[in-house]
Amino acid sequence: MVIAAGNVFLPRARLDALFDLLHEGGRTIIGPTVRDGMLVLDRLERVEDLPIGWRDEQAPGRYRLVRGATERAFDVVNGQMSWKQFTFPPKQKVGMMRRDEAGSVAFAAVPPDPPRLAFLGVRACELAALGIQDRVLAGGTFVDEDYRARRESALVVAVQCGRAGDACFCASMGTGPEVRGGHDLVMSELDAGFVVSAGSPAGERLLARLPGRVASPAEEAEASASVAAVRAAQGDPVVIEGLRDRLMDQLDSPRWEEVADRCLACANCTMVCPTCFCTSTAITSDLDGRVNVAERHWDSCFTAGFAKVAGGNFRPERSDRYRQWLTHKFATWVDQFGTYGCVGCARCITWCPVGIDVREELAAIAPPAAPPEQLLTRPAAATPGRFEVVTLRASQRETADTTSLFLQPTEPALLAGLPGQFVMVEQPGFPSLPISVSRYGTDELVLTVRAAGPATAALIAEAPGAQIGLRGPLGRAWPVDRALGRNVLIVTGGIGLAPLRPVLDAIVASRDRFGEVLLAYGARTPSDRLFTDELERWAQHGIEVAQIVDRAEPGWEGRVGVVTQLLDRRDFGRRPTVAFVCGPERMMQATVTTLRDRGVAPERLFVSMERHMQCGIGLCGHCQMGPYFVCRDGPVFSVGELGELFGKEGL
Amino acid sequence: MIGESGVATRLKGTWFGEALSPHASDRLSAIGELRRVDAGAVLLREGAECDRFGILLDGLLSLRVAVAGRGRATLMTVEPGETFGWSAVVPPYRSTSTVVALQPSEVIVFDAEKLRALLREDEALAVTVYPRLLQVVSRRLVATRTQLLDLYARDREYEPW
Repeated sequence: MVIAAGNVFLPRARLDALFDLLHEGGRTIIGPTVRDGMLVLDRLERVEDLPIGWRDEQAPGRYRLVRGATERAFDVVNGQMSWKQFTFPPKQKVGMMRRDEAGSVAFAAVPPDPPRLAFLGVRACELAALGIQDRVLAGGTFVDEDYRARRESALVVAVQCGRAGDACFCASMGTGPEVRGGHDLVMSELDAGFVVSAGSPAGERLLARLPGRVASPAEEAEASASVAAVRAAQGDPVVIEGLRDRLMDQLDSPRWEEVADRCLACANCTMVCPTCFCTSTAITSDLDGRVNVAERHWDSCFTAGFAKVAGGNFRPERSDRYRQWLTHKFATWVDQFGTYGCVGCARCITWCPVGIDVREELAAIAPPAAPPEQLLTRPAAATPGRFEVVTLRASQRETADTTSLFLQPTEPALLAGLPGQFVMVEQPGFPSLPISVSRYGTDELVLTVRAAGPATAALIAEAPGAQIGLRGPLGRAWPVDRALGRNVLIVTGGIGLAPLRPVLDAIVASRDRFGEVLLAYGARTPSDRLFTDELERWAQHGIEVAQIVDRAEPGWEGRVGVVTQLLDRRDFGRRPTVAFVCGPERMMQATVTTLRDRGVAPERLFVSMERHMQCGIGLCGHCQMGPYFVCRDGPVFSVGELGELFGKEGL
Repeated sequence: MIGESGVATRLKGTWFGEALSPHASDRLSAIGELRRVDAGAVLLREGAECDRFGILLDGLLSLRVAVAGRGRATLMTVEPGETFGWSAVVPPYRSTSTVVALQPSEVIVFDAEKLRALLREDEALAVTVYPRLLQVVSRRLVATRTQLLDLYARDREYEPW
């Protein structure tokens, strides 16, 4: 809260008056000061103790103080110490235990005895951090009385940032750079002095006694412009939208191992973090064991023994501990305390000895969903009545009733689709047909079509040189990127192999970026199988190809039965599996049931839904399924996303 | 022949054997034999006495029936970990299909008479074995129904497409 009316301009030369006011009643002022080439928070006696004329340079794993161009007092952004040093000290006696000669025992808590402190130079992110620790330590059912007493007794004089640190991201976290509350006074530093306003009744009483005059509109404007410039300089390096869910969805990301290779588990990030609150209690005893003192000290989820119990350690690997830390700060903290556990102060980046940058890790582990405009090339002819004309180069019979059409478009957008997308096909005199793309070539598009009625029969019968209309590629694709580094299971039946062939193409193109790959393919009979020569080619590329038919034919020595038979007794190993399933809905249901029983998470189980599509662009309403238009929101969905819709009769 | 302890270990590695009590596992292993068979070997004949119950460890088996005029049709194949010869414990103890190895295969076989005798005399064993056998039969039934649904067939209702 900034009280607009009555802001005071305090000339630089009179900053001592603020020190005098804060010192009243024996208060100690704690603020930034330079010691041994470092910025620390410590006792300030006089104005000259402030880091006047200094500024900082920060980068991942790097911190330097340098002389600045001005004589400002608050140009150094955060150092390694945060205010929790004083509200939640690194070591704090919490209790005494005694056992007398007769054997009776007594316990006594150490009563709070907070020093009278004034915090000078608290930044917006730091105020937010204090607010977060207030919720954790004093906002729930059980309260840390020592913390509460320290918080209540301290005066807080905030300062608006006039510079952004090089790694700061408070703007992304929504905690700064503007001071929004939690302070008694707040100062904006200008060259000539400070614009000071109050944020509490105690602050108002102090402000009334500060020498100076009412700040002029020009000074107010300069103060506002200064913090606005800080916001602009920072940009928005961490995309917050959906971060909690994005992160929790990546508990199996291969990136955890990769970070762990660099992480030293030194716990610096948690020590410098202004919100980390984990502690351990050490008991020290006198020699005969009569008097014991319990002392709480900061601990860290990065230490090897933090999650240890008799008989084991729940987070034995460094990757487990990094994951614990990051998911707590940016995901589970939200569930527990209603806010993120990070304020964007950048300390964990600067003070990491190997320069692990949390902004970079978040972007790599839980990348923001790209807006659809960026993810997909805008489809061609995406408006009712329009179709791009393409020419049929050749067609190839795949089975008795299925043919692949090789189409040459002039519109490049038609070739820029993703695996699993479809096109609407238009021939004069026939209704539109949704057909999935079975291959993207460099200059042609392959559609694999089964003759199901007059329109498909006419399409298949077209001769080379024929022209047809296309709109697309449309719809949501198979999320092949989700399968990187994981085992991949492709389960398909009948014509369902066609929309999955681009996935296999993508896997073959960078085979080493995926784990084990199994293609389980079911068909009606051996001669109903599509792409038989390619099935062999994929097997040569390290893809296990298992085929099964409903009905054997003479000479068939392969498997007979249903596709789930191929999965029933299979061990999917420890590496997480991503499954792409496409076939008749009944077959997909059976497959999904089997895979869920075998431990494949619904969020990693993707199906392609079939519904009656006429327009392909979410305007005609035919393909609605619950809250979705299958053409626009699908056809690929995760089973987790569909929830009870999947397999529900009559939807 | 491989020793009985070999049977127990291999049995434990299968779906059928993994959660058996030590007692049940011991008793079954005592009458089980590990066998290797060549591709083409016939393990059971349709209509004949089902003299063995088995678990496929490795390889691939086909379950065939003869249809006059159509020759032999494979109805289903059996994957490693699955069983064959459930008719060994279900009256009238006649095989419902011919079991042929499609690949060189390794199996555990249990003599039908010994198995039935064991199940008669040892109720605790029977209580753990019969639900497993019912599961085998039920899965076969469900798979057969799914095949009957002919899911990959064209659906004539979709005209005019």
